[in-house]
Amino acid sequence: MVSKKLTIVNAQGFHMRPASTFATAMAKYSSDVVLKHNGQDVNAKSLMNIIAACIKCGNEIEVVATGDDENEALAEAVSMIEAGFGE
Amino acid sequence: MLKGIAASEGIGIGKVMIIEEHSLEYQPKQVADTDAELQRFHDAVDAFCEETMEQAEAVKKSAGEKEAEILMGHIYMMKDPGMVGTMEAQITGGQCAEAAVEQICDMFIEAFSSTGDEVTAQRAADVKDIKTAILSILLGVKVVKISEAPAGTVIVAKEVTPSMTAGINKENIVGIVTETGSQTSHSAILARALEIPAVLSVENATTQLSSGEQLIVDGSEGQVITAPSEAEIQEYTEKRDAFLREKRELENYRGKKTLSASGEEYELFCNIGTPKDAAKAMEADGEGVGLFRTEFLFMDRNALPTEDEQFEAYKQAAIVLKGKGLIIRTLDIGGDKEIPYLGLEKEENPFMGFRAIRYCLKHRDLFKSQLKAILRASAFGDIRIMFPLITAIEELREGKALVEEAKADLRASGIDFDENIKVGVMTETAASGVIAHMLAKEADFFSIGTNDLTGYTMAADRGNSDVAYLYSPFQPSVLMMIQRIIKCATEAGIPVGMCGEAAANPMMIPLLISFGLTEFSVSAPSVLKVRKTISKWTKAEADKVCEKVMSMTTEAEITQYLKDVV
Repeated sequence: MVSKKLTIVNAQGFHMRPASTFATAMAKYSSDVVLKHNGQDVNAKSLMNIIAACIKCGNEIEVVATGDDENEALAEAVSMIEAGFGE
Repeated sequence: MLKGIAASEGIGIGKVMIIEEHSLEYQPKQVADTDAELQRFHDAVDAFCEETMEQAEAVKKSAGEKEAEILMGHIYMMKDPGMVGTMEAQITGGQCAEAAVEQICDMFIEAFSSTGDEVTAQRAADVKDIKTAILSILLGVKVVKISEAPAGTVIVAKEVTPSMTAGINKENIVGIVTETGSQTSHSAILARALEIPAVLSVENATTQLSSGEQLIVDGSEGQVITAPSEAEIQEYTEKRDAFLREKRELENYRGKKTLSASGEEYELFCNIGTPKDAAKAMEADGEGVGLFRTEFLFMDRNALPTEDEQFEAYKQAAIVLKGKGLIIRTLDIGGDKEIPYLGLEKEENPFMGFRAIRYCLKHRDLFKSQLKAILRASAFGDIRIMFPLITAIEELREGKALVEEAKADLRASGIDFDENIKVGVMTETAASGVIAHMLAKEADFFSIGTNDLTGYTMAADRGNSDVAYLYSPFQPSVLMMIQRIIKCATEAGIPVGMCGEAAANPMMIPLLISFGLTEFSVSAPSVLKVRKTISKWTKAEADKVCEKVMSMTTEAEITQYLKDVV
């Protein structure tokens, strides 16, 4: 299991477009990827669960990846979030 | 006549087409052949994705990329493991496809709505739309095709859903009436993008009106006229033609400089309240932003925004404006703008109390974090800082000193900003008008806020009907105040703008030209109108009118005269 704590930097937070690109990117890994936010575990491969989690700009989250390709999954997740989803 | 919210201006005259909501009732049942049921479900999902894709293509052409993206989002949502995967599991467990779709969609609708977050709650409308579409396919319900509506159709519906937008053809649909929605709802945004007159939130519209009846939709006034008489049709046809003529004529001013008839050039800016409005200002052909109110960052939340959060918002606006001027007004709370978490005490007389710059100078950490955020954003555009409610020169000096402190902090951290950022005063109190000659020596610019300036000069609250008659920017005292502020700025060689409502008033414009105003800041929809009005005046004609007005002694005399000359 690998994990990292991050702050959401793009102004709109995890809204439709970033959530959708992010979930699609995570889906290609065999590892489980979870976003810990407000005491909840959010399935990072599900756009709907990410939207329901209502993650906003400035929120702190922890990305946790568990599985064979956990390092790759975590690295991509972190780079997407840190880059503010290119927004 | 039915009343509603004016959501998209213009007038439409046509025949009603009621968009009914079909009954999507079904008998939930246990399914024995789960494989066949799964197949039925997948066929419906495929059909849904195909239809939605086609609609998205159509919408891209009629309403643009953004609208199409909403529809593409429906496909991503439906294909999400949280949706399709969970539904499959339900069906494998023996549930019928309809029940699986309804239960899972309802679960997300509830989850999204209960977050209390506006953007997330809007997504609930998307899930509702998906649910209706898939259930319709599963139940074989035929949905009325808006795309087949004949020319001259007024759509009447509970609400205009994103999937309905696909069928809306600008040539055939002359008006939209809905039972729900507000200025900012999806229906309103769509109607404005398509330039179709729309009246929203008309109670029971779908039951009060019937398909085929004639209707007038007045999207400018928010009225729907049922069973119109010949005379009414005549009247509204003329209004419609005048509206369209004016709109076409105004388009001639798009992309042009703001010039008087004698060639003086002015800056024509917009007033905005959020970074999103910056895009609207650009679309409206504004030449910059003369007033960016920052209260939105502080309202409707439980704690102060961080410096980073503010920085992102200011930077976003600066980037959208692509180097055009952006005047950011520092926090203007108190008075009528309450922010619960700041714990402001109830005051006997809030408009004369602890508000705006007064509050900020006593809460230096809060103020400095805003100033630092603005300074950091100044690396991304032509940003200027404006202090509200200045009444004494010390306030300007203290504010400027704090700007210097914020600069020093940033310099120490090696963060980029505009070293020569301009710091100006929003002249909106009688005191600032009287000491304008002093302020002008130490401020980089002035911007006249006529709403408060009128209220404070006349000591009259426009919300109080007993004294509202006193509240007019055409009172000789207010005009003399404006004249004085502009004169002091001109003598000191600094720019002077006006960001109050009066700047867009055709009766005020000749006076402002004559006084020597250099920048007009108005609401986005007024930009072209103001540019047109300014273009009609020569400086000499404006001077003549102004001289006459300034020799008059009553507001009544002045407004009567101005009505006659403009």
